[in-house]
Amino acid sequence: MKIAKQARRDAKGLFRDCIRDGLLDENRVREVVRRVLEAKPRGYIAILSHFHRLVKLDVERRTARVESATPLESRLQTKVQADLTKLYGRGLEISFKENAALLGGLRIKVGSDVYDGSIQAKLAALRESF
Amino acid sequence: MSTILQEIEAEIAGAKMATAKQNVGTVREIGDGVARVEGLTDAMLNEMLDFGHGITGLALNLEETEVGAIILGDYTEIEEGDEVRTTGKLLQVPVGKGLLGRVVDALGEPLDDKGPVKSELAYPVEKIAPGIIRRKQVSQPVQTGIMAIDAMIPIGRGQRELIIGDRSTGKTTLGIDTIINQARLNHAAEAAGNKDYRPLYCIYVAVGQKRSNVARIINVFEEHGAMAYTTIISASASDSATNQYLAPFAGAAMGEWFMDNGMDALIIYDDLSKHAVAYRQVSLVLKRPSGREAYPGDVFYLHSRLLERSARVSEKYGNGSLTALPIIETQAGDVAAYIPTNVISITDGQIFLETDLFYQGIRPAISVGISVSRVGSTAQVKAMKQVAGRIKLDLAQFRELAAFAQFGSDLDAKTQAQIERGKRIVEVFKQPQYNPVPLEVQVAVLWTVQNGFIDDVPVDRVKDFQTKLTDFLTSRKNELMARILKEGALSDTLTADLKAAVTEFKETYK
Repeated sequence: MKIAKQARRDAKGLFRDCIRDGLLDENRVREVVRRVLEAKPRGYIAILSHFHRLVKLDVERRTARVESATPLESRLQTKVQADLTKLYGRGLEISFKENAALLGGLRIKVGSDVYDGSIQAKLAALRESF
Repeated sequence: MSTILQEIEAEIAGAKMATAKQNVGTVREIGDGVARVEGLTDAMLNEMLDFGHGITGLALNLEETEVGAIILGDYTEIEEGDEVRTTGKLLQVPVGKGLLGRVVDALGEPLDDKGPVKSELAYPVEKIAPGIIRRKQVSQPVQTGIMAIDAMIPIGRGQRELIIGDRSTGKTTLGIDTIINQARLNHAAEAAGNKDYRPLYCIYVAVGQKRSNVARIINVFEEHGAMAYTTIISASASDSATNQYLAPFAGAAMGEWFMDNGMDALIIYDDLSKHAVAYRQVSLVLKRPSGREAYPGDVFYLHSRLLERSARVSEKYGNGSLTALPIIETQAGDVAAYIPTNVISITDGQIFLETDLFYQGIRPAISVGISVSRVGSTAQVKAMKQVAGRIKLDLAQFRELAAFAQFGSDLDAKTQAQIERGKRIVEVFKQPQYNPVPLEVQVAVLWTVQNGFIDDVPVDRVKDFQTKLTDFLTSRKNELMARILKEGALSDTLTADLKAAVTEFKETYK
């Protein structure tokens, strides 16, 4: 779907209004969606699609996905959590997941940053080097 | 003491285990050699991106939420949702003497069957041109071996001279002839053990050419022994627009290595019209705003930054040079079109080839009136300056008078003589392809013309006279020829000897 420039601008404005103290306020997001759907301004579907995209990217930026081959001990989980919060600041949503394909080690993804210490990645790097 | 050692060892072991941070994104859209990637928040402009499967991309558009990248290589293997990584490296190509004699693509990968390219050094494809302080005036000649050019539109080392004309008017041939002549001069200097001679290495960049054409050119180079001093970069018509867009920049990087290391290089961009078209395609697919004739707004900057990389560097900075001969194809002789005017304004002169002249049998079909070299005359050899000083004017006047004389038969003796001289000069400048003429022969022949020795030879026999005179001078008077080449200027004694030789030849000529 092609989104007009004006719709992009409007969506960006709405998105900016949803930021409180540098963090996205979920209640305001819900309020914005409700109000736009009620008022139905010109091109509101396009505005909402772009708004959705901006929110999605922000959520991704603020989400840390920690993958490990086996379940992490709670002591390790707390350490990872503390380290990530130290690095990225507050408001970070951290989720833990098991992924047997990693074979061992950890893989952490925050937005577009990836810290890959898994055995799978090391094997892949080794294969590439040949 | 041992505890501190253990501490250091523990620190080092810890550092080794640390995982490096990577910046990744996901492919959101892929097609036409262009990908839109979400994420990649740390991507730099012109940074190489790793698409996996051994495929590389180049980040060209950095937008608010995504990155527009062009794919180098086969993009059909990439799928939506694939992971893309930044590499922290700018696009580089191998450089050095290992590339001489090779045929490579826009990324410096070999296209011939001579194995991998031997090169230890790589240069970034996009590099800032040498600054004002590093530059020097053009002062050494590039001998093209084409009489009309060496006499009237001289080219110097470090100059940018545009070759412009319609399709099939001999633009590429001028470039090939120049490369063949460099090979001849380089071979001769090597054979004579001349250490003062600075060889000119050649780079031929084929953009959007037919592969059969490139193969033909390679054959010609091999036949004339020119391949040993030449690198060919081919981004043919069937290669992706991305590769066609990058090929001239890759060639410029390879040429810059020679310049930076105190050597001289010549680069031929064949041709920049197709390069502009490839860049237009890339820009349109990247959804950049289009301007006149749908070219993007920075098409002028595209060519200006490419051609600015050709320069003559001063002694303090190595005394190297990179000469550029860009080629532009016009439509129906229209030099006022968008891309031709752009490139004309950037270069230091142009050689204009005309279809009419070509079909009249005047080959090379150089239109003397509108061809100029803005800086080359300072680089012209003195002997050539002495004999060719007035020839451009004579020829331009002849063209005007010839058109005028068609209307009336009564002409005064002076005009008649001018026309007759003009006809002979035109004949003298005719030259078959792949047949460069050595400088000393050019000087001797032009001296003969300027001093009226050719005025009583019928026009249709001028070429025969010239060939036989050349044979006579190179076989019987080769000492005189060697002296002209060595002294580089026509002194009184040299002129007297030349006069005696030409008179001797004329007596025997039938």
